[in-house]
Amino acid sequence: MFAEKACNLIKELSRCEEVLPPYHTELVKEVCTEIKQLHEQNKEDGAIVANESSIAGYANALYPTLRIGSSAVKRNVRCLLAYHYNRLKTLRTMRWEFGSILPQDIKTNLSSDEIEWFTKYSRSFAKYMTSIGENGLNLCLDLRPPKSLYIEVKCLMDYGKFELSDGTILLLKKDSRHYLPRSECEELITQGVFQHIV
Amino acid sequence: MDEIDIESAINDVDIDNDEEVQLSLPEIIQLMEENWLNEKFSPEVLPNRMDIVELLLDQITTLENNLKKLSNADFKKGLYQMEVDRIRFLISSYLRKRLEKIETYSTVILEQEKSRVQQGSETYLSQNELEFAQEYDQSIREHFESIMRFCPGITETQLINPNLHTMVFLKSKEDIEGIVIDDGNDENDLIDLNKGSQVLISYKSVNNFVKSGNVHLI
Repeated sequence: MFAEKACNLIKELSRCEEVLPPYHTELVKEVCTEIKQLHEQNKEDGAIVANESSIAGYANALYPTLRIGSSAVKRNVRCLLAYHYNRLKTLRTMRWEFGSILPQDIKTNLSSDEIEWFTKYSRSFAKYMTSIGENGLNLCLDLRPPKSLYIEVKCLMDYGKFELSDGTILLLKKDSRHYLPRSECEELITQGVFQHIV
Repeated sequence: MDEIDIESAINDVDIDNDEEVQLSLPEIIQLMEENWLNEKFSPEVLPNRMDIVELLLDQITTLENNLKKLSNADFKKGLYQMEVDRIRFLISSYLRKRLEKIETYSTVILEQEKSRVQQGSETYLSQNELEFAQEYDQSIREHFESIMRFCPGITETQLINPNLHTMVFLKSKEDIEGIVIDDGNDENDLIDLNKGSQVLISYKSVNNFVKSGNVHLI
């Protein structure tokens, strides 16, 4: 059936929201081949219909085939683009979460085009953030409205020394607990060094 | 210890802006809150209020510098720090919301901005947002083009349009007469809003009032 493979691409998307499955090169290629074949077929059929101009277009026996062929191409292209667009969306969310450097395990799941897009997006986003006000504003912080000034965090790994903005130096060890200003540890929480204990 | 009167800093900062209107900090914060809510609930991107954002950012810097001079043991320090954090959240959230819309509707927004420039009316995006929007739109376009390169001759562009018919809650700040409710029929109903009244209405009917500040979304 037409567009079945493209539909599988979309199904794959909806199965794993929020995480990025490996880029499905083979399936994408198959969809592309299908589109190409259909497109060629449509061109031929179109030429025949145009040649037999003595018969009115819609009365031609090939007309329904042409219609179906062209909507199959459209559907395929839609699915193909939707697959890529939604992957970019997820990637964008990851830029906000992880910062400009992607973890290696995610990077392996991307296509080369997607890595390139990520670099571009990351650059223009960073440019935008530095342009706000005089000194720039990090939009990746303050994601939730502040409830309290200090929060309790648990350190999940041996991080080493960590300097607070007032100059105090903390030694962060695995499983140690700290009571720190929220603004200081927000970044470490998103990096996964700290766990916020509620 | 130097007596730093942050309280007065918070309460009576007078800021001159271009129209020579004097606004105190609480008033600016209130304005910001209002614009933040509008931006949050409206389906389309609204005219930017970078003027307020910049004023507030300046204020935050000043306040933080003053706070540094206070001793850690001072009870007030925590309270003011919290207030500064709240303001910063407000600004970040506002700008984040705008970016989100700019990314989703980039193509449409860029077209609208272009026609606004041609008509000589004020643009909705700030200069920096515009640059970001152009770069973003370009990058998406290139990505799509490289996907479709295998088969030249097929052009497919999908524009994502904001749904202007979303229902919004709003509160009126003034008496407004004769809002046209466009429900797609030929007969249009008119309603009047009294000051302070709250209604649930389609965004399309009131978008001009939201932009001019006569009503605000809640």
